[in-house]
Amino acid sequence: MSRSNWFKTTALSAVLAGAAFASGTAQAENFKLGYAGGFTGYLAPYDQPSLKGVQLAIDEINAAGGIGGTMPIELIVKDTRSDTAQAAVVAQELVDDGVMAMIVSCDVDPAVASGVIAQAAEIPAISSCASTPTLPAAVGPYMFSNYTADNLQGTVLAVYARDQGYENAYVLLSRDTPYTEKLPEYFAQVFAELGGNVVAIGEYTIGQQDFSVEVTRIKGLDPQPDVIQTSAYEPDFPAFLKQLRAAGITAQVLGSDGIDSPTTFGLGDVAEGVIFSNAGFPSEGSPLAAYEVAYEAKYGEPNDTIFTATGYDAMLVIAAAVEAAGSTEGAAIRDAWDNLENVQVATGMMTYKGQNRVPIRVVALNQVVGGERAHVGDFTPDPALIPAP
Amino acid sequence: MSHIEGQTHENGRGNAMRFVASGTLVGSAILFLPIAVFSLIAWLTFGAAPQGTVTHFLIITVAVLGFSVFTGNTGVVSFGHAAFMGLSAHITGMLTIPVAQKAIFLPDLPVWLAGTEMNFLVAGLIAVVIVTAVAFVIGIPIARLGGASASIATLGLLIIAYGVIVGARDFTRGSQALIGVPKTIDIPVALLFFGIALLLARIFRDSLAGLELRAMREDEAAARAIGVNVQGRRLLAWTVSAAIAALAGVLLAHFLGVYSPKEFYFQITFAILAMLIVGGMTSVSGAVVGAAAVTVMIDLLRGVEEHINANWFSEPTVFGLTDIGLSLGILAMLFWRRDGLFGFWEIEELAGGWRRWFGLRAPAEVGSSQAKRIDQDGALAVENVAKAFGGLRAVDGASLALKPGEIVGLIGPNGSGKTTLLGCISGALDLTEGKVLLDGTDISDLPAHQIARRRVGRTFQNIRLFVHLTVLENVKAALAASGTRLPPLAMDARARALLTELGIADYAPRRAGTLAYGLQRRLEIARALALEPRYLLLDEPAAGMNEIESDELLGILGRLRESRGLGLLVVDHDLRLIMRLCDRVVVLNRGQVIAEGVPGEVQANPAVIEAYLGKRRAASRTASAPPLGD
Repeated sequence: MSRSNWFKTTALSAVLAGAAFASGTAQAENFKLGYAGGFTGYLAPYDQPSLKGVQLAIDEINAAGGIGGTMPIELIVKDTRSDTAQAAVVAQELVDDGVMAMIVSCDVDPAVASGVIAQAAEIPAISSCASTPTLPAAVGPYMFSNYTADNLQGTVLAVYARDQGYENAYVLLSRDTPYTEKLPEYFAQVFAELGGNVVAIGEYTIGQQDFSVEVTRIKGLDPQPDVIQTSAYEPDFPAFLKQLRAAGITAQVLGSDGIDSPTTFGLGDVAEGVIFSNAGFPSEGSPLAAYEVAYEAKYGEPNDTIFTATGYDAMLVIAAAVEAAGSTEGAAIRDAWDNLENVQVATGMMTYKGQNRVPIRVVALNQVVGGERAHVGDFTPDPALIPAP
Repeated sequence: MSHIEGQTHENGRGNAMRFVASGTLVGSAILFLPIAVFSLIAWLTFGAAPQGTVTHFLIITVAVLGFSVFTGNTGVVSFGHAAFMGLSAHITGMLTIPVAQKAIFLPDLPVWLAGTEMNFLVAGLIAVVIVTAVAFVIGIPIARLGGASASIATLGLLIIAYGVIVGARDFTRGSQALIGVPKTIDIPVALLFFGIALLLARIFRDSLAGLELRAMREDEAAARAIGVNVQGRRLLAWTVSAAIAALAGVLLAHFLGVYSPKEFYFQITFAILAMLIVGGMTSVSGAVVGAAAVTVMIDLLRGVEEHINANWFSEPTVFGLTDIGLSLGILAMLFWRRDGLFGFWEIEELAGGWRRWFGLRAPAEVGSSQAKRIDQDGALAVENVAKAFGGLRAVDGASLALKPGEIVGLIGPNGSGKTTLLGCISGALDLTEGKVLLDGTDISDLPAHQIARRRVGRTFQNIRLFVHLTVLENVKAALAASGTRLPPLAMDARARALLTELGIADYAPRRAGTLAYGLQRRLEIARALALEPRYLLLDEPAAGMNEIESDELLGILGRLRESRGLGLLVVDHDLRLIMRLCDRVVVLNRGQVIAEGVPGEVQANPAVIEAYLGKRRAASRTASAPPLGD
């Protein structure tokens, strides 16, 4: 364990700084963390909850004395207003403020814009919840992902479908966003690799209300698909699902975390049995359930989105990396981070080692049963199966 | 047609001012110098983060200037220019991303593109040229539209261009971000291009084309009546503005280094429009100062917000102060200064004294208009003209003729078709039947601006001046539209001479809309005279004037005929004026000519009296026979 190294470093630096009055070396330094997030604008629904999770984690860590019990975290928050140019400026301000690690926005453009600034300053950065698996590669070795990547979710869904014995899949995707396009493609790729048959791939446009062409096509397919996967979300997913069921097609529908919203549970009979992936399920006795309790205690209201938990996770990962590095120096943190294995976080375990900075983490499958959420299971896929981004 | 030598009115500084009006240079300098000084200080002394803010400000200002060149000069609010920014950003991205990165992120590029890795200046130039060409083609249909329909069309363009960029995924990665575009824009580069865009925008605004456009912005029908080719000018503004927007797109691309199509969609469009609203939609100064004001406001509010969050509300953190403050600022602006900080003015017009500081005086008054007497041959002939609006024949087979040097009155009761007939002659309305001959040539099918250029001028029943232009600019716009090309100061002198002729030279720097009613009428005539018309159609020139004003007008019109020898067709209800002014009078009733002749004759004509007063009263009136109109 590198804790002692870290003690040596801080002690040394305290001495070098001539801290003659210092009563203990543990008081020497705060860990300065920056968060350049989209707290207003289109990213607010993701970065604001993430921030709440981050603050909860900081409270808990600091209550125990800080990272490694000795180094309290000092958070500097700056709003990018969901603007890419502002994301770069704000990241530079954080670098100038001397942050030692940085959390950046939930969307790829601002995350890259901030990330390249952190990369240039050799400060490790993590995106709060961007799910595009190419993000770290696009920026460089100091950029890490946090949220369940699209290829991870696609893999878990495909493995589950094959395990359930489904043979013929229909995939519906939209090229309007990387999420609605890539995740179904990853699903199709893994489903085929595992010996399944992808009967057809359909396309839609976001905001399209009429799915009659696609539904008619599915009805005419031979063989009939026994499983249908899509990453469509509101308002497309409810429209598609209703028209699909109205046409008498009963195939199992697999969605992804975009439909993890009250709308889906309020759809009634048509949604019955729909399975979707997300970043975690708070089953009894799980860390996520404990997290939810802590969240409600701090904020006085129940947690209503998984993004607070993944924000909390990001903070724990950073703390684990710093502790493992035993240093606040960027390169050391980066190297330690890249070797993290089985870090216990709210949603389960996270592993970065050997994953090119896109973590393996638990993917939970949920099922709509009687308008309520039921837990199908938590899955961590075999890394060998996960398609390259 | 130029017979006034511009040089004679210049006071020794002629050459420098010959092609660019002095206001253009001074106005650009007043805007550019403080920003340049600040930017260079920022470049030398600021940290990387504030330097980024300054660079971004300079780039966004170029974009705002692009919007402003179209919106400010045409009055059509554009929602579409972000499309040009997006197109050029993606083109320059495609050309400059390093080959190694292309292999990873753009594997489906055609081979010739996959192996291309250009310098950003070359790539940017290519992008601007391509986008400008595309904009020209798209502009052809859009320039035919005016007002709200043109705005909606630009909105459509934005949505279509977004769809095209997302759809061309082999080249653009679809909706995903382009990554690896070289970040080459720093403050000096951005400042250079800002200066170029600013100068271009000011030169365009102050050019004769710009003046014609601004005239058209104020009143399209009146602009056509002085010979402005509305569609052609709009297309020009559209193309120039698209080029500037494309430049902004290139700069932004190489500043951000990463962007996806949504970067150039509604968010940036509304951010830019907000800057224009704050500064003023209709002037170049407004565009620049609006961009600066909004940037400063955002940065200050951001500082306040961070300070509050750091010191008072560390948890829960409060966000949105910046957006709330900005929104309140814009609302306040709309409430107190609807036309923005600068309204319709340019900065050097507000800092009016500059001419004195530079030792420039307004050019000397020109004694006379030096107008040539026009050729007295030929005639403007209306032959059996009819104009139907649905079932109503407002003009029904009317004929009349007007010779140079002649003043003909056109009278008739309300609704008799007088104004409609003027519209038919001037090309504002299409004929249903018949034809209009100008010195023997059929001009029935020509559009209004071409008839104006053939030297048929008109004024309007309800005065249609370019109210937000100065008195001088109103006349200059007409000079420009009629094809007069002189150095700026000579152009001013020519316009001033016309104002002198109408006795309103003292009001030259005033906004036309602020003149008293009678003076506005005179200005309208001066503007029409700028076409050097052979024939002038005056629609109720004395309406709303008192007797003194009307007598003065009478004198002016009489002198015009004497000095220029032009033919006047005067529509008026003021029979006293008509009877005293006109050589002949044509009476129109229900779209038909019911009488024609010298004033005395017509006045006594029973059919005329009947048309004006109705049958029974006319009968009693003829018995006692008091002449009409006294």
